[in-house]
Amino acid sequence: MLSPFTKPATAVDAGGAGGWSASRSRRPYLLAAAVFFVLAAINAILQPTFLTFDVAASNLAAFLPLTLLAIGQTFVILGSDIDLSNGGIVSLVNVAVVEIIERFGDSAASYAIGIAAGLALGLAAGALNGVCVAYLRFQAIVTTFATSVIYVGLALWILPQAGGQVPPDFYNVYAGAVLGVPNVLLILVAAAALALVIARTRFYYALRATGGNMQAAFFTGVPVARVRLTAYVVSGFFAALCGLALVGETASGDPLIGGLMTLSSVTAVVLGGTSLAGCVGSVTGSVLGGFILGLINNVIFFAHVPFEWQGLIQGAIILAALSGGVAMARRGRN
Amino acid sequence: MHALAASKICKRFGGIVALDGAEFALDAGEVHALIGSNGCGKSTLCKIIAGAVGADAGELTVNGERVSFANPGAAAARGVEMFYQELSLIPAMTVAENIFLGREPTGRNGLVDRGRMDASAARLLAGFGDALGAGLQPQATIGDLSADQRQIVEILKVLARPSRIVVFDEATAALDRDQVAVVFDRIRALKAEGRSTIFISHRMDEVFAIADRITVMRNGATVTTARAADTSRDQLVMAMVGADQASATQPARHRPAAEEVLTVVDLSAGKLAHVSFALRRGEILGLGGLHGQGQSDLLRALYGVIPLRNGVIAIGGRRFQPKWPIAAMRRSMAYVSGDRAKNGVMAIRPIFENLVVSILARNRDHVVARGKLGALLQPVVERLKLKFSSLEAPVTELSGGNQQKVVLARLLATEPAILLLDDPTKGIDLGTKADLYAFMDDLCAQGVSILLHSSDDKELLAVSDRVLVFNAGRCVAELAGAERNELALYRAAYLTERGEAEHA
Repeated sequence: MLSPFTKPATAVDAGGAGGWSASRSRRPYLLAAAVFFVLAAINAILQPTFLTFDVAASNLAAFLPLTLLAIGQTFVILGSDIDLSNGGIVSLVNVAVVEIIERFGDSAASYAIGIAAGLALGLAAGALNGVCVAYLRFQAIVTTFATSVIYVGLALWILPQAGGQVPPDFYNVYAGAVLGVPNVLLILVAAAALALVIARTRFYYALRATGGNMQAAFFTGVPVARVRLTAYVVSGFFAALCGLALVGETASGDPLIGGLMTLSSVTAVVLGGTSLAGCVGSVTGSVLGGFILGLINNVIFFAHVPFEWQGLIQGAIILAALSGGVAMARRGRN
Repeated sequence: MHALAASKICKRFGGIVALDGAEFALDAGEVHALIGSNGCGKSTLCKIIAGAVGADAGELTVNGERVSFANPGAAAARGVEMFYQELSLIPAMTVAENIFLGREPTGRNGLVDRGRMDASAARLLAGFGDALGAGLQPQATIGDLSADQRQIVEILKVLARPSRIVVFDEATAALDRDQVAVVFDRIRALKAEGRSTIFISHRMDEVFAIADRITVMRNGATVTTARAADTSRDQLVMAMVGADQASATQPARHRPAAEEVLTVVDLSAGKLAHVSFALRRGEILGLGGLHGQGQSDLLRALYGVIPLRNGVIAIGGRRFQPKWPIAAMRRSMAYVSGDRAKNGVMAIRPIFENLVVSILARNRDHVVARGKLGALLQPVVERLKLKFSSLEAPVTELSGGNQQKVVLARLLATEPAILLLDDPTKGIDLGTKADLYAFMDDLCAQGVSILLHSSDDKELLAVSDRVLVFNAGRCVAELAGAERNELALYRAAYLTERGEAEHA
């Protein structure tokens, strides 16, 4: 019987013992992997060149920014918080980097300054979120929404309108390859490797414990506030990487570019099997979730869905993917 | 020099005094039991010792050195570890992750070594042998385990830490005999290493089996400390009650009619197992015993909040199948929880809305006629002596006691015949308590029947006409007339052995 006190099922409730549900709680990204392969197959049918090197590389370049953003969001959500400002950080970093590189001219030193400043901005913005939520104990949703308005406001102050132009060398590196391996793939592998290393630190266990039961973590001696702050800083860092990737992808700055990405990053994380209640989830899942959202756009485009139907179809596919997870979680419990 | 000493410890929670000059001393290599009735302050004292709660006044020393723990981590740094009655496990994480939380073994690269962590957990679990039960492995998720298995994990988590002093707060409550025996072996091993244990349990047989000394607490203060060899169970129960209170019998109270308004036969739900009783018209029936022995589960099952496993319920002679609270309300039941914040008031919302919500739910009204509702509420508000500045003021502006009155008024407006009160006076000031007792008497005089669970034993005995005593989900005694005194209540609650309770 479903009583009104039954918690709403999410795609990733930790399952019962044994079988599918046990492997799901250990590898929460399995369902996302299945959805990913189905969508990739549909994409390949609709677009015969899908599996060629060039198309794969350009797809990867297009999916990379959101995927990076989702990786960072994963850590915050595992701690049962949420970061609704990461899109704002993307915008801020994006325009700041473009402005700095324009000002310092076309040189390696200029790029280095721009990139370093972008990463520093991301870390600082994440730290501000973390201090407000973890130490001042503001509500995570409202706080990060408010700071996102601040970050977008700063971005608009730096660059009121989309524009600016980074030198060709900068975006050529982003689109380029080393020994035949596309640089975007190298960036993704490096980012994922970093995230997977983080997932093996004591911090990560403390973070999941904080998300799973904050009071219990506190009683066990976990420095709960510091852990939550760190998660926001990590999210800010990956948002900065996302902002940099967008500079490489679009070669210019746009103060509004990150706005819509915020909820997409949350969706990617949830599609990847991470529980919004915290504790259960994985970076691997979020990478798959980012790819799934990108593939959905591809499929809609190549299926020649009329423009006015695209939003509807996109929403329906996301809902279907989510409901699959909920159905699995229910079956796992019974 | 004591391994640990607490002196003149005081602690208030709001207006409630939890500790009032508690004294406690623990020697190296000693197992020291701490006992006392509900709310005597023993858990609060232990939480202060373990750094989970800060003391308002008093002095704490470890090895003669004065200490003040800001948080559990600071206490752990001085070798004090505490078992928290299932409060410190993370349900969605594995057994090994929970045992080693914050102290995960790392490899040379500084990263967590999962394999070593699981292997260490497996070694710790192996000590329990067959007593573990099925499915308790290092990689099992805590949420999938049974209550006793979770408790074992919690114990291992404490034991795996390099401690000098271990506090076990009712660590054995969910364990069976074999499991308790293993835990006692571990405590004896700690003792052999010169480590000390504070052991809280309400099972006298366990206390006498393991403790070197026993300290009894009452009303937030230490009453007596005795060597286990020099005292007896009866002496301890007497110390818990206090000589003056021991056989003070409560005067008879209401005049219940013979008519049975609620009959329960062989009810099992939650912790509750095979309970039968009848509630008479105009009677207050108390549900007593130690915390969490099934009293709340009984009330919640009757109100349709938790599902029944077994049993028959009749209201006014007619069969009743509780399914949802709304069904219970339509059969004239009303439930009030002591946990106002969670189950009672709707914070921030105006008092008016908080008052009318039950009427609206019961009557299925779709259009709210404010004037009509106001007229309906007026008499209830007056009878409860509810004080407020305006009906539009947020309910959270009121004191805890007045918030509880709002919750009660809301339900009374539906004119219930049976009130289910689940520790309704928890955290309420004395004046408001007196108002509530007087009001309950009024209701009984009008023929309303009340099932009252209270964690305040004195209140329970003073207010109820009869008291059912619960132990391990069973009803082990019924106290009526002259038996309604603390000594009888504590004898039933504390001296019923595990096996007896299970087969009662």
